[in-house]
Amino acid sequence: MSQPLPAARSFTRPQPNDDWASIAARELPDVPAEDAVGMLQSWNFHVFMRPASASGNTILPSDIIFLEAPAAEG
Amino acid sequence: MLDIAIRNGRIVDGSGLPAFIGDVGIKDGRIVRVGRITEEATHTIDAAGKVVAPGFIDPHTHFDAQLLWDGAAKPAIEHGVTTIVPGNCSLSLAPLKAEHRMKLVGMFNQIEEMPLKAFKEGVEWNWETFDEFVTRIKKDLSVNVAPLVGHSVLRLWVMGEESMKRCATADEVQAMQKLLAECIEAGAVGLSTSYVDMDETLQPVPSRYADESELDALCEVLSTHDRVLQIVHEFYDADLTVARIDQLAALSLKHGITTTLSPLFVNADDNGAVDKVMKRVKEQMAAGARVWPQVQTRPIDISFCFEVPSLLFIRLPSWYAIMRFGSHEDIVAAFSDPERRPALIAEAETEQMNPLWSRLVLRQVQTDANQGLVGKSLADIAQARGTGLVETMIDLSLEEDLQAHFLSADMGHNDNAKVGALLRDPNVHIGASDGGAHILSFSTYGDTGYLFSKFVRDEQALGLEAAVKKITSDTAAIWGLHDRGLLRAGFAADVTVFDADTIGRGPEYYVQDVPGDGSRYVRDATGVDTVIIGGAVAWSEAAGYTDARRGQILPT
Repeated sequence: MSQPLPAARSFTRPQPNDDWASIAARELPDVPAEDAVGMLQSWNFHVFMRPASASGNTILPSDIIFLEAPAAEG
Repeated sequence: MLDIAIRNGRIVDGSGLPAFIGDVGIKDGRIVRVGRITEEATHTIDAAGKVVAPGFIDPHTHFDAQLLWDGAAKPAIEHGVTTIVPGNCSLSLAPLKAEHRMKLVGMFNQIEEMPLKAFKEGVEWNWETFDEFVTRIKKDLSVNVAPLVGHSVLRLWVMGEESMKRCATADEVQAMQKLLAECIEAGAVGLSTSYVDMDETLQPVPSRYADESELDALCEVLSTHDRVLQIVHEFYDADLTVARIDQLAALSLKHGITTTLSPLFVNADDNGAVDKVMKRVKEQMAAGARVWPQVQTRPIDISFCFEVPSLLFIRLPSWYAIMRFGSHEDIVAAFSDPERRPALIAEAETEQMNPLWSRLVLRQVQTDANQGLVGKSLADIAQARGTGLVETMIDLSLEEDLQAHFLSADMGHNDNAKVGALLRDPNVHIGASDGGAHILSFSTYGDTGYLFSKFVRDEQALGLEAAVKKITSDTAAIWGLHDRGLLRAGFAADVTVFDADTIGRGPEYYVQDVPGDGSRYVRDATGVDTVIIGGAVAWSEAAGYTDARRGQILPT
């Protein structure tokens, strides 16, 4: 069986009950917690800036959460 | 004795090979011979000067509800379409428990802009399971239907209200797997899911609460039955689209399944987004994954009146709220109120929205007084009246009791060179028509004719044989419809006869033929001569729709 290609832009998928802090702790363990949360939010405006769902969390289990900044244009 | 002989046609057999002059013989619902036929036939079609092709397949539709009152999915057939795929975007009408009916109707109304009254007055709710739904629609089917089962609906069946709140438990995932298998055994061609849609309360649809493991488990079931996964992705963002392609590729490789994402648009401010997406598609396809982006042929035209909610206003919260949740009287009151009216105008007159207002054309009114304005731009009407653009739109709407219809044409996906290049790309799946949905915003019919008129004849982006192949055998292969899409002995006799010089789509017009006194925008076909489904003439230009009911649930 073929192996999947590495993601074009690194991302993760939320686990049940994830929030920004839990994703930051799991995916960016070497970055201070507050900075890691800020980085994740800045890379994921599509999630961070939208209204919270009925559950109160803006993060949905099906979301793509990018783990790096977008590539520079050009 | 044959049932039908199509003689002297230009055979474009769906394979992409060059056309040739010949005959097609049909008996008992099957093609029995392609070439020179001397055998007599009960019915002969003289196709001299015309193209004889496999019936077209439309892989992205929402005809689910319409099939309950119209087994021909009109006007799809007269555009040469012989097979439709409903149930896209996580929404199907089955499996559906009685207590969830209105919830699903709300989602269809919000996402696909299907009128509530059509469901209330046109649907007799006498099914729950997928098998019961398929049995119900099969009774009066002219067109072939390859139905998807919606992920949101699976969740609703298994989890009820919790489907819109949380991830599924292991037991619930297992129940969904069992339910999906039952749907497939009853005729489902695959599973659809959505990462963008919101319900009638503007909350995410149930499929968006599914975590990675849930979809993976459902793909296991698709794998067992060799079925397809369709998603609607974050099509407005190239990086998110690429990430979904990566996600689909991983699922495709792990489970050996075909996946498809729709829609892929060429936006006006594209800035290389489509090239970025297609580069990734090619890389993933080359790596062995099956990830098919669906591209529609037509540009984006959107019409609206304030009688019904329009997604065009979704970025204007006050406007969308009154359109979505207000009654006719509420909207009239808001437009007339001396305090709310200026606030609405101020919200709408922004740098982002002003280009839209200046692009609008008044396309339909009901009063005699304003008939002379039909066809004029809102900008011209505003200038003549000495009022602002949004103010004029409100005034016209009040004068017409909210029945002033405005058109925003060519809103995007209208770079013909780029769209043409996409349509001929071997890694692109032509689809995403949305047939049967958004019926008060635009006509979703005629995309196949437009492929030939715009991209074969005008733009010469692809040849006739290549265009036919794209919407017949390619589509059949992608969706696992193994006896469709080619004119070959033994294949199902789904055939479209058309004039290559004139096939196209007619102008968009408004017609009142939806249950509950509802209306919709439609287009007639041009240049289509005869459409045969399951070995019987389903529609012809000369006689219109016939009584033939040979549509099947596919794959058989």
